[in-house]
Amino acid sequence: MKSVLHRGPLAKLGDLSETRYWVYLLLFPSLILLLLVVAYPTLYGFVISVREMRLTRPGLNGWVGTKHYVAMLSDRVFWISLKNTAIWVTAAIALEVAMGFVAAVALNRNVPGTKLFGVLILLPYFLPNVVAGHMWALLLDPRLGVINDILVKVRILSSYKAWFADPATAMAATIVVEAWHGFPFFALLFLAGLKGIPEDLYKAAAVDGAGPIRQFRLITVPMLRTVITAAVILRVISLVNSPDLLLVLTGGGPGNATQVLSLYAFQTAYREFNFGYAGALAVVMFVILMVFATLYIRLTRVSKD
Amino acid sequence: MQVTKREFLVATAALALASGMRSAQAATAINYWHHFASQSEMAGLMKIIELFGKSHPGIGVTQESIPNSEYMAKVSSAVVAGGRPDTGMVVAERFADLTAMGALVDISERVKGWKGKANFPENRWTGMSQDGAIYAVPAYAFVDWMYYRKDYFEEAGLAGPPKTFDEFLIACRKLTNPAKGRYAFGMRGGAGAFKYVIDVMEAFGSPIVKDGQAAIDKAAAVEAITFYSNLFVKEKVVPPSAPNDSYRQIMEGFRTGQTAMVWHHTGSLIEISAALKAGEQFSTAPMPAGPKAHIARVAYAGNGIMKDDHVDAAWDWISFWGEKDAAIALLEATGYFPASTAALDDERIKSNPIYQAASQTLDFGRLPNRFVGAAGWSESVVNPSFQSVLTGQLTPEQAVDRMIEGLEAALR
Amino acid sequence: MLKTSRGRRRMADVLTYAVLLTMTFFCLAPIVWMFLTSLKTEADIVTSQMQYLPARITFENYRAIWTQSNFPVLITNSLVVTTITVVICVLTGTLAAYAFSRLSFKGREKLMLGYLLVRMFPAVMVIIPLFVMMRTVGLVDSRFGLALAYTSFLLPLFVWMLKGFFDAAPKELESAARIDGSTRLGAMVRIILPLARNGLVASSVFIAIAAWNEFIFALMLTTGQGSRTWPVGLQLMVGEFQLPWGVLAAGGILSILPVVILFAIVQRAMVQGLTAGAVKG
Repeated sequence: MKSVLHRGPLAKLGDLSETRYWVYLLLFPSLILLLLVVAYPTLYGFVISVREMRLTRPGLNGWVGTKHYVAMLSDRVFWISLKNTAIWVTAAIALEVAMGFVAAVALNRNVPGTKLFGVLILLPYFLPNVVAGHMWALLLDPRLGVINDILVKVRILSSYKAWFADPATAMAATIVVEAWHGFPFFALLFLAGLKGIPEDLYKAAAVDGAGPIRQFRLITVPMLRTVITAAVILRVISLVNSPDLLLVLTGGGPGNATQVLSLYAFQTAYREFNFGYAGALAVVMFVILMVFATLYIRLTRVSKD
Repeated sequence: MQVTKREFLVATAALALASGMRSAQAATAINYWHHFASQSEMAGLMKIIELFGKSHPGIGVTQESIPNSEYMAKVSSAVVAGGRPDTGMVVAERFADLTAMGALVDISERVKGWKGKANFPENRWTGMSQDGAIYAVPAYAFVDWMYYRKDYFEEAGLAGPPKTFDEFLIACRKLTNPAKGRYAFGMRGGAGAFKYVIDVMEAFGSPIVKDGQAAIDKAAAVEAITFYSNLFVKEKVVPPSAPNDSYRQIMEGFRTGQTAMVWHHTGSLIEISAALKAGEQFSTAPMPAGPKAHIARVAYAGNGIMKDDHVDAAWDWISFWGEKDAAIALLEATGYFPASTAALDDERIKSNPIYQAASQTLDFGRLPNRFVGAAGWSESVVNPSFQSVLTGQLTPEQAVDRMIEGLEAALR
Repeated sequence: MLKTSRGRRRMADVLTYAVLLTMTFFCLAPIVWMFLTSLKTEADIVTSQMQYLPARITFENYRAIWTQSNFPVLITNSLVVTTITVVICVLTGTLAAYAFSRLSFKGREKLMLGYLLVRMFPAVMVIIPLFVMMRTVGLVDSRFGLALAYTSFLLPLFVWMLKGFFDAAPKELESAARIDGSTRLGAMVRIILPLARNGLVASSVFIAIAAWNEFIFALMLTTGQGSRTWPVGLQLMVGEFQLPWGVLAAGGILSILPVVILFAIVQRAMVQGLTAGAVKG
């Protein structure tokens, strides 16, 4: 085996892998790529947030310092969006993690037919956001919606309900749609993580007399910890940043009942053409995410030690 | 990195090749951004391109469709970052924002020397002008009117469509029967609700903007919002889904027989005619008049030049849309009302009773409000405030206060 | 003892099926409805009397989407963009993920967070400067340019996911190989990569799906037919004065088909990867 590897440039690379430059060599390609593509846009985003940049009022453009950030403090819609973002993301992630975990554990038991179930359960994730949004809009439609029809037929509802027209149900309905669309992400990741846990660990634990619950708590959860951490962070980021689903389902309404930060920033930029303020909103979202990620990573590491 | 570079070279080579091919086909190639999407709209556009190709063999037009909801995002980023098209579609509601961001080229001089100008009365040009300069050639118009179920009206013993808000309210009460799942009026409360909220405010005598200043008359506006929202809150003559109902939902409500009246414009006639029988099941009427003013919008849409590179070819293309042939081709495919009087005199419009309401509206109809930031204010302030009145979270007074506050901020 | 354990096993199997069936129903029912919708005429969809099964099956919706949207071109573009994205991510990201998982160096945590930061800046604000950059190098309206843009936010996703899987692979095997005289490179290629193979496939599938479904960047960075992707073409079906439910549903069904096929192929590879890992373990 060893002799096969020790030939020509590969051998040199093998030697190089023993030096302290190895790590830089590994990181170099991805780092360069990211810096090339992302550095300028990100800087631009920060600069724009301290400038006035309203496309429809070119006369006002120029440096304004913290004006946008100060304005945000007294912006009612900003605070509503902040609150809604927190609720929306927390509820959706909690649902998705729970459902993803249950699905992964069930799939990991490898009962006959698992392969088919695996593909079917992942189907929602394959749909583009735009399609998923329109599809659920049709399912829950107050006139054409089959869900309403079924609920009326089994007498849970007396008449069709307009789920997205009532502030009390609009948020919950969008969370269910998001959970439907997003939980396969966790299911697939958790499943791959579970498969990586060696069977021996469970066998050893069983010999030591640990029941399934103890095995789960002592082996499954700790072994999956990094996968869970990574999955949750990544999902939080994409949920906070992507407005498409809400854009299709409610557009932030009724009132501002489902308005979230990403949607607000998008509308500020491309409906009011106020790029400066939208930039400031984006920076705030960025800072919130950064603080969250740092705390979350620290927290999960502390509990591991 | 080597792979990257090679890919890069291949990509650029392919691009160069593609653009070379395009310019080989015709002496001048221009591109055209639009938001036509449906089959009928595309058929109309293709017909116009075909007609244009015959009369202008030296110019090749590449049409590029942009989803309507993302049209302004795409144009505004092209303005900031470059990559503007030669020509683009301009609808009335977007005109003020487009000129303010400098997306359109001044074409006043060319219009002056254009023989087709005579076919367009002055009011066609107002919607396409800013500070005395013209930026687009009008092509077609959306005329606001009311669709109503003729059979439902007869059933309820109503003689004809309501002419005033008072008659409208009486008709609403007679036509509603929740037990049958039938409501009188398909109110638009979701996206786009602002359109009619503003109309009703003006119908009650409150202006919106005067001389660039916020000019909402609070008392009149509160009265208007109270009247309009009460159709849902108190009278319950509007489907319970109204706060989230936008264009699609009100149309589906009307087509499935849930509602007896909807307010929209001529652009949806084809869709409704496909589901209901014109003249028997449904008919059209001018919008009812409010206590202080009779409001209905006439929104002209046209085409403008967005960059200077091929101005002559671009002008030929956008002015072609104003010619009778092109206007009739569009009308035949889509039913969109021509802006040119030469085309309006066509038999197909004059002899069709369904279009009478639109022809009447042309006499008294107003252009949509045009001020910079109108779209942003309407959608981000008027919509949510009005929705909150419908859902009981705000009183009409509070909603009007927010609208005034938002309008002042938008104009500042 | 044996009896109770077998009984418990059966119980667990029943429970497993119950869970799987419920979840499958939850996931599948909306898609089945979409499929039925795609076979209905508009009159059967927009109706006051709920029509569960199509009264008359029509393929008109599929025909409409095929002819109206220039479907083959859009799908090809999506495929090309997705492939380039995945290739770039796998080539560069695997190395980085390995470094983060197995090597300790100064500033490792900070750098990892740095990768994540890249993903955190909302797309809304990145688009315009990205467009400016792409224009200067002539990559606007090109599939390669779009793939590069995708890489900017999918590469961090890939690295982070894959690092999780590398972490889960036992360190002992690698140490053993190193004691046997294998270089770090050798241990990486021969021990870690096979062990984390299913993770590698899973991570690739995720970024492939994300690239396949991406909308905002595709919309803003492409205009012409030559590089426009499928989701943008699909959004174009949603007209201003018409929303043809049947056509939209047909588009939805067509857009998951390629992904399902890809996944069916990949799943076999995943299972093989698992067994390979199990044998070594």
